[in-house]
Amino acid sequence: MTWAGLVDAVKSAGAHGRALRVRGGGSKDFYGQALEGDVLDTRAVRGIVAHEPTELVLTARGGTPLAEVEDVLARAGQMLPFEPPHFGPGATIGGAVAAGLAGPRRAATNGYTGAIRDFVLGVTLLDGRGEVLRFGGRVMKNVAGYDVSRLIAGSMGTLGVILEVSLKVLPRPPAACTLRLALPDPARAIEQLNAWGGMPLPLTASAYRDGDLALRLEGAESAVKAACRRIGGERVDDAAAAAFWTGMREQTDPFFSLPGALWRVAVPSTAVPLGLPGAQLVEWGGALRWLKGDADAALVRREALRAGGHATLFRGGDKAVGVFTALDPVKARIHARLKAAFDPARVFNRGRMYAEL
Amino acid sequence: MNQPIAAQLLRREFPPALLDQLVALLGAQRVSTAAAVREHHGHDESHFPDALPDAVVFPETTEEVAAVVRACAAHRFPVIPYGTGTSLEGHILAIQGGVTIDLSRMDRVLAVHADDLDAVVQAGVTRKALNAHIKDTGLFFPIDPGADASIGGMSATRASGTAAVRYGTMKENVLALTVVLADGRIIRTGRRTKKSSAGYDLTRLFVGSEGTLGVITEITVRLYPQPEAISAAVCCFPNMVAAASTVIQAIQMGVPVARCDFLDPLCVKAINEHSKTGLQEKPTVFFEFHGSEAGVREQAETVQAIAAEHGAEAFQWATRPEERSKLWQARHDAYFACLQLQPGCRIISTDVCVPISRLAECLAATEEDIRRSGRLVPVLGHIGDGNFHLCIIVDPNNAHDIEIAEQMNHRLVERAIAMEGTCTGEHGIGCGKMAFMDAEHGDSLEVMRMVKRSLDPHNIMNPGKVVAV
Repeated sequence: MTWAGLVDAVKSAGAHGRALRVRGGGSKDFYGQALEGDVLDTRAVRGIVAHEPTELVLTARGGTPLAEVEDVLARAGQMLPFEPPHFGPGATIGGAVAAGLAGPRRAATNGYTGAIRDFVLGVTLLDGRGEVLRFGGRVMKNVAGYDVSRLIAGSMGTLGVILEVSLKVLPRPPAACTLRLALPDPARAIEQLNAWGGMPLPLTASAYRDGDLALRLEGAESAVKAACRRIGGERVDDAAAAAFWTGMREQTDPFFSLPGALWRVAVPSTAVPLGLPGAQLVEWGGALRWLKGDADAALVRREALRAGGHATLFRGGDKAVGVFTALDPVKARIHARLKAAFDPARVFNRGRMYAEL
Repeated sequence: MNQPIAAQLLRREFPPALLDQLVALLGAQRVSTAAAVREHHGHDESHFPDALPDAVVFPETTEEVAAVVRACAAHRFPVIPYGTGTSLEGHILAIQGGVTIDLSRMDRVLAVHADDLDAVVQAGVTRKALNAHIKDTGLFFPIDPGADASIGGMSATRASGTAAVRYGTMKENVLALTVVLADGRIIRTGRRTKKSSAGYDLTRLFVGSEGTLGVITEITVRLYPQPEAISAAVCCFPNMVAAASTVIQAIQMGVPVARCDFLDPLCVKAINEHSKTGLQEKPTVFFEFHGSEAGVREQAETVQAIAAEHGAEAFQWATRPEERSKLWQARHDAYFACLQLQPGCRIISTDVCVPISRLAECLAATEEDIRRSGRLVPVLGHIGDGNFHLCIIVDPNNAHDIEIAEQMNHRLVERAIAMEGTCTGEHGIGCGKMAFMDAEHGDSLEVMRMVKRSLDPHNIMNPGKVVAV
């Protein structure tokens, strides 16, 4: 469906009170509360609109395959700094922005860091009235009005269709090294991760499970070398390291095949190991805890809250418990009003995030 | 058109009952209607005429702010949040009258989580006070606009500073907020977790909303480890474009330059006179590199080599902390230094930001415009971000002079927008740039209006700023 086709489809759905389900490659269909409405396929609105390597900005149509974006960047020695997961061959850049997910690099401590929203410079959005709206642009800094483009990041397609997005990109770090260390005590491992996090080390990924810690260091050659000496451990060969981090990012690592539901628990990085049944995998320097197993949903949410965070039922399990942590009534009202500002007829992704949106 | 509505028409009489309520809430000591206090809160660092609030209140807790907002909401009376009054676009002017909430007494650092690399502060804590507070933790907060602004004000205006190219701006560094909404209810957006709470990213919506959606009372900010080594250098270039090209090439090669700011010869002259710095009066870039000893050396060598290719002179180094502070303090005082180029004047500061690939073109056209105008216009900027400022010096009592300056700004904004840039990279909209919003946003402005209405249905939060509703 072309750009104009999308506009017509949205206008028609709005006029007839029909729901549309915005979908790129469908690689993240598993994620979110409910899938409702007819599919609005975004994949025909594709292509890289602009990429001037010296500018460190890439603008692409929402339906552009994520793989294509990454390929173009790689050829210029650049990357998407948030390392978004694909979760399937058809992933699109618009879908990645709407899902707002980031990979292992999310918690890098050396400036190669951030969530997807931190790199969104502008979006062109098709709203629920069928209007095409632009927010932000290709500039690095913009404080002209409300930061709507960042509100769109992670909004799960509930506010509009991302027709085009401009992202800040970064050069690939010139040197990389992955280290493996044995740290049998999980509490000690989390302390150590946080201690390193507070030092000027070029840490760009970490993963801890069952006494085994993997660390990725990236940056200037000399900085990586110096950091490796300081941390110690055993160097993993580059091909194995790349495969390992892909396994983390794409959830193809054996951990993710363990039985039970997959919970994503975001906590302050210093939170002690969660007292929950099931297998745990720690990422982002301690700030992200994956839980695989059949722990009771109420218990998971209570434990997440106690640790100062929140839990999302990421894959599997019974969605009736609520995929996302429930909003308090005040915030729920703000959400409803924002939804009404962008999509008054609730055309887009009804119930994908919360039943009432 | 998105323009400040003839505000005096909207000014209402201050309800005596509201004053009584405010006094009952906070005590007479912390509610002022004194002319001197109102005057102090009736202007910022812009050139706009003063606009005084009807009263100024000094709450000490989020709950007190909420009570004040509730009282004002009941009377549908404007509320203007106030940090340190250093905004540049009339953000804090009480153009429709109202109650100014001065947050300076909310000046406590509530928590420093050194291991989590964050701190929770009340809105009135200034950036320098926060850095002084955390000095012993080995951490620092990197956002440094010219003024020693409050963290609340910096969040509300999405401030940046000289280190944005490496550490980002407030939008990347605010993790969570406590906000008093227009009806007096209190919400917390985000948590101290890397992944913000479930649902829409309300934190990002309030950051940069300039007090028009709510009053920010507490902020969780990200902190960074102090680099092991820092070195600063000053480098003279044959022209602005050479300087910009050097910076861009360095960033593109992955050199994590921590700070880089450009100053034109007139600006250097001004800071030499103001701060006694003795710099060469040439197009100049201040660089700062952060990292390990080896890393800093490597970064500096790479940038020096690129600069030489663009015809720059050798770097002059400042490695001792006091030399460095003097240099950057001089840079931060550039606004005041420029003011002194012509005593008694005011400055109209422009703030466009353009895509980096268009920066050289935009600078060249702007230089030509300045040359033709025959005026004193120092230029400085964060060229690594595509953002630069003209300090157009004007006589505040000469309407014609201001008009000519406004026209120069107008041409610059049009030029920037035509290059897919923005009218404001870091100063914000306030009431000063509202008229540019149509040209920049077109139909999208209507959605911003709807966002404003959905959070502030009675338009009492800093009315007449950002979007006219």
